[in-house]
Amino acid sequence: MIVQVKDISCRFGDITALDAVSLDVAKGDVVCIIGPSGSGKSTLLRCLNALEDIESGEIIIDGMNVDRRHRQIHQIRLEIGMVFQHFNLFPHLNVLRNVNLAQQVVRNRGKAEATQISLELLAKVGLADKMDQYPGQLSGGQKQRVAIARALAMNPKVMLFDEATSALDPEMIGEVLEVMRRLASEGMTMLVVTHEIGFAREVADRIVFLDNGKIIESGPPADLLVNPQQTRTKEFLAKVL
Amino acid sequence: MDWLVSQISSLSKIFFYLIQTVHWTILISVLAYLIALALGLTFGILRLSPRRPVRWFASVYVNVLRGVPLLVLIFFFYFGLGKVVNMDRFVAGVLAVGICYGAYLAEIFRSGIQAIDYGQHEAAMSLGMTRWQTLRHIILPQSVRIVVPPAANEFISCLKDSSLVSIIGLRELTRAGREYSSQYFLDFQTWLMVGLIYLMLTFTLTRVVKWLERRVAVHGYGVEKR
Repeated sequence: MIVQVKDISCRFGDITALDAVSLDVAKGDVVCIIGPSGSGKSTLLRCLNALEDIESGEIIIDGMNVDRRHRQIHQIRLEIGMVFQHFNLFPHLNVLRNVNLAQQVVRNRGKAEATQISLELLAKVGLADKMDQYPGQLSGGQKQRVAIARALAMNPKVMLFDEATSALDPEMIGEVLEVMRRLASEGMTMLVVTHEIGFAREVADRIVFLDNGKIIESGPPADLLVNPQQTRTKEFLAKVL
Repeated sequence: MDWLVSQISSLSKIFFYLIQTVHWTILISVLAYLIALALGLTFGILRLSPRRPVRWFASVYVNVLRGVPLLVLIFFFYFGLGKVVNMDRFVAGVLAVGICYGAYLAEIFRSGIQAIDYGQHEAAMSLGMTRWQTLRHIILPQSVRIVVPPAANEFISCLKDSSLVSIIGLRELTRAGREYSSQYFLDFQTWLMVGLIYLMLTFTLTRVVKWLERRVAVHGYGVEKR
């Protein structure tokens, strides 16, 4: 198991965002996390990258304990790629520098080596011709594809997608999902928070349904989407399908 | 006609007298501003430190220095500290102005850093950058674009406030004006000329700032490139 989440809880003031959540992900698996808004999906993903404090429980990714208070937490984070809903590209750097920067600063790669890797990845997401442009000149779908290339450039062992297509215009969702689909088929371990049930059905090895900070149900798409066991799951799916 | 000629000749005499001291005004304000930039950046960052004592220390500096008139600070440095550690008037004047403006700039840098979307921190951290790497490569380069106009404004203020050090006998532009007017009793013409020279300096500076703003502009982000 490359990702082991054991009994984690996360609270913001009086609100319990995650309540004793456990989740194991095998290497190469794609796990889609679905659920109503406010159910804790994003919080779960953010905990996996130590962007939120967990109150109890533990998270182990590839043998490393993910703890925000850990002094070397930045070295653990670089093994985990994250793609954000709002892209969070660096607006002052062009596309190539966006993908290069952390490779040079964090992975200590030379400029030539980093550029070569960046160009391969940009070609992979179909944006090699945009390397000189600034994020402000790109469409939403293009920004998100650059963000994916930027995360991949660190050779992460796990990729986290936090509602990667939720801020996109409908006609741009497809191009981002296509990149994610290809990544999944290449064997990347992925945790995907998504509202795209179609994508989850097609790509996920397992779907996890989260509600009120708890995992209500999980299973392969064929089971969970077609024949859900819990009433909450049924109600949710009735609304979104 | 004669009146006009004599006025012009006396004004130009004043101009050439005063202009010989303008390099002191420039030197004092540039040195003071460089000190202020270094202090401002340092304390602006320290004010956002995750450690409470560090934040507290930085906010004491800002609030104390911001709350004392610059003139009092100049007296304190020259007459007060100057007696203890043997500073000449130049060092005392530059330090007083620099430390005072450091406090103003600290606030500008702090707000410039805080203005950057938190998503930028998170993206940098998720790529494995440390706090310092994030600040250096992601946050500060973006803050600069926000900070340039107000920080340049402070330089213009700093240049004007450098006239205050004339009071401890530093022979810069304002001091020269006082000497000239008390020697020749041409108060109106002298102070008019002093004012005009300051205006020349500050006007040139505003042009430089405009140019600087365009230089740091990035397409689709903040100030537009023209």
